Formats: sequence, structure tokens, C-alpha cells
Amino acid sequence: MHEMSIALEVCRIAEEKVGRAALPDVREIGLVVGRRSGVEPDSLLFCLDALLEGAPFRNARAVLEVMPGDELRVSYLEVDDGDPPD
Amino acid sequence: MAIRRIDVRERVMERNDTMAAEVRARLSASGVPAFNLVSSPGSGKTLLLERTLRDLGGDLRLAVVTGDVQTQNDADRLARWTDDLVQAIVTGGACHLDARQITDALGALDVEALDVLFIENVGNLVCPASWDLGETAKIVVLSVTEGEDKPLKYPKMFEQARYLIINKTDLLPYVPFDMDRARAFALEINPGLGFFTMSALDGTGLDVWYDFLRSRTRRSTLAFAGVET
Repeated sequence: MHEMSIALEVCRIAEEKVGRAALPDVREIGLVVGRRSGVEPDSLLFCLDALLEGAPFRNARAVLEVMPGDELRVSYLEVDDGDPPD
Repeated sequence: MAIRRIDVRERVMERNDTMAAEVRARLSASGVPAFNLVSSPGSGKTLLLERTLRDLGGDLRLAVVTGDVQTQNDADRLARWTDDLVQAIVTGGACHLDARQITDALGALDVEALDVLFIENVGNLVCPASWDLGETAKIVVLSVTEGEDKPLKYPKMFEQARYLIINKTDLLPYVPFDMDRARAFALEINPGLGFFTMSALDGTGLDVWYDFLRSRTRRSTLAFAGVET
């Protein structure tokens, strides 16, 4: 359950950064997860996969970088801006 | 396709920690120490609070924010002893309280009039360790019916805590709990831990706990609100 709260917060941060309308265009969410952060990386990934599968997301995936220490942060977002206009 | 990469570098707990800092500043400005009671389920947090409210409630204005997951039981028990009770809104699956809930709770309390704020967290030794609530100190309650090795199994919680209450000492004759081992394990994880040993049921050790609480109120010369490290 804890990981699900964290995953929801990650989604909220993504929305804050790109705006709700652009959430379907998010392709990747990069996270740093410290081994001592109190979060189980596999469990967090499982929760994020479940959330990113459905609306408002579409085709997004989470990429976790597991590090020493207690850090837990969203490091980057990748957004597909579509084909540039001719 | 034009993939745009946005650097975020935002701590996932940022929003919670910002709210916790606001809670801490508010309580500190009002001179109200806040103790976040954490433990596994069944350690005796609610009974300890009932006794504390009953015995000190005449002298001190004590408030409780409680986070029972599925029932009204804890809130009903505590409501007998204080008018300053806020039941945090927790859904069936919540595993911890967060700073937003404490912010909301402060809105329902007359903070300036309080002497001590207790937070009775959800019974769970894992998740609540990750959430700063703006408390002065986390206090872990460990009962003697649990294993002495709880600190080794849940190190993050024991690292985060400032005090350890070893509760249910009335059961010591009946259970194979080694007090020295328990203390040694706890100190191995957190050498700065302060200890209380008590039975909230028969009252043994509560006098020391009450002296400690009195010493932390703004009426005491020892008063300190902020973070105890």
C-alpha cells in the first residue's frame, strides 16, 4: 500500500510538470530509488505500471534507477510532442 | 516523433515534507510538542493514550489525532477522555498518516490552547517511518509479546524514532522476552534512543512517562518544541 501512495504521488508530480492534457503523451518517467528509502523497487514498479497503463496515461513506462542511500525522487520525464508540423 | 526530456529532480516526498515543515513551524510557534506514536498493531498505543488522557487531562490540555484504519473503535475509546480529538480520514487500505492529514487536523483544533499533541499512527512499523508528520519526535511502542529483534527487523522505524516505549511489562512473567536484548538491539540501530518501560494496563512506569510529558510542555523550563534529534 505504501508503494501505491508513492506511485500516486509520482503521477501527481508528472501532472504538475506537464499538465493534465499532456499526460497521454508521457512516454517515460525516470525515478531514483534509494535502497534505504523504505520503498521496495519491484513493488513500486508494479504499482506504477498499473497506474501508467490506464487513463490519463497512455503508453508510459517507469524506469527505476536503484541507488545506495535513502533518496526517492522523480529524475526526469519524457514526453512525446508528436510529429513536428510541416 | 519528437521526444522531449524534462529534468524534474523532485523528491517524491517533497509535498509531504513541505507540509510537515509547516506543521512543525506552527506547533513550534505555539510551543506545542507533538509526539507521533508508531508501532505494530496491538502494542497498546490506544490504552497508553487513554491512561495518559485520564491521568494528565486534568492538568494539561491534550489533543489526539488518531488514524484507525477500519473502525471507530480507537476514536470512541479516546473520545471519553478528551474533547480535542480528531479522527484522521483514512480509507480501508491506508498504511500510514501523512502530513496533509495533520494539517487538516490542526485546522480542527485550538492549537494555541494545547499543551501536547499526540498522533496515534496506523499500526505498522514500515510505512509510517517514511512520512514526516511535523512531529517533535516519533515514539515507537514495542510490547513484550513481540520479539526482541523488532528493531533489527524494522530498522528504519527505530532509526527515525527518538524514544522507545517497552510496554506490557505486566506480561513479562509469562513471555520469553529478554529486556536487555531488546534494549541492546534497539541501541544497535539507534544509539541515541531514549527508553520508557511500562505497563499501561497496571500503571507501572507511567509516572516516568508523565514526568517526561510535563517536562516537554511550554509551562516547563525544559520545554522544547521543534525536532528532537
